[in-house]
Amino acid sequence: VIPDQADAAAMRLERLLGRLLFAGVRLSAILLAGGLLLHITLGPRAAIAGALLNIGLICLMGTPLLRVVVSFAEYVRERDWFFVGTTLAVLVILAGTLVAAVMAR
Amino acid sequence: MSDAVVIVTVMAAGALSGGFGAVLGIGGGAFLVPFLTLVVGLPFREAAGISLTTVIATSSAVAGTTAGQGLINLRLGMLLEVATAAGGLAGGLTAQMLPERVLQALFGGVTTLIAAIMLGQLRRSNVILDESIDPGRLGGRYYDEGRGRAVLYRVRRLPIAMVASFLAGNVSSLLGIGGGILKVPVLTAWCGVPIRAAAATSALMIGVTALAAAPIYYAHGEIAPHLGAAAVLGVLLGSRAGFRFSARAPAKWLKLALAVTLLLVSAVMFARLK
Repeated sequence: VIPDQADAAAMRLERLLGRLLFAGVRLSAILLAGGLLLHITLGPRAAIAGALLNIGLICLMGTPLLRVVVSFAEYVRERDWFFVGTTLAVLVILAGTLVAAVMAR
Repeated sequence: MSDAVVIVTVMAAGALSGGFGAVLGIGGGAFLVPFLTLVVGLPFREAAGISLTTVIATSSAVAGTTAGQGLINLRLGMLLEVATAAGGLAGGLTAQMLPERVLQALFGGVTTLIAAIMLGQLRRSNVILDESIDPGRLGGRYYDEGRGRAVLYRVRRLPIAMVASFLAGNVSSLLGIGGGILKVPVLTAWCGVPIRAAAATSALMIGVTALAAAPIYYAHGEIAPHLGAAAVLGVLLGSRAGFRFSARAPAKWLKLALAVTLLLVSAVMFARLK
């Protein structure tokens, strides 16, 4: 099968997103492991442990968000307006999540 | 339990759920949530919140590994994601309003359903071997190792896929499970997507689905960072081991054993309601 141009573009995007997701989860795992180690050795009240753990969790949650942002940008570049619309809709929903989270604090 | 013992217990539970999840392709939340509530004694919402963070980790790790094989249907994923994320946000908001016992009862019901799905899993391949057929805008094409050739498929009954995705997202964020187990059977049985493509696409989507709710749990202080970290690290290690094992696992008896376990879990969840 000779992939047509759209297939090639989709495959390139898939690889890019895959690398991004993998890097994000690896970085958060390192931060979380470091934070957990300090939490155990220095005690639960160590500020540095709490900071690392929270940054790790935020990095973990930020990874799929970044994946949607990169997809959105790629679809804009390809002028594929239907998927610009779907990725934008997902970003609007996630913005709603953020608003709900901020209001909870 | 002391702090360190709880951390080690949660990590071990994460590793086991991640391992089972990888072998069975269902994500580990269905095991992790009952373990955290029944064994560690966490309130249901804290268990669900921690489990949701592991769903995000699993999604990124699995999609990061399978990307490039052509199995992930990006276009279908990006479309269904609108529904799963909306369902996820709705679930995250309602989870904060529902009493714990309602959530527990729902969990019992959904695990029963999952066990039933596992026991009667539909086997259908859905691939089209004629390469002259146009797979359409949402269809896909990938190299099937079992067949040793490229295969294609068309996506049918999109509205059903959208509704199933919304419901899966909703249940996912209410109960802290991945939701793939609910979405994948619908995509394969009714919408024409081959199971490997459905599973890979679902794995990509569950991260964003869980993300639509996890920050709400986090902001309510229901994800203790050290326990979230322990569970995430456990799940990542466990699923890695599970994938290595899954290539030669006798999946049939394992599925049976785990379906029975899930039925027991749901029975305990219902019994604790009183």
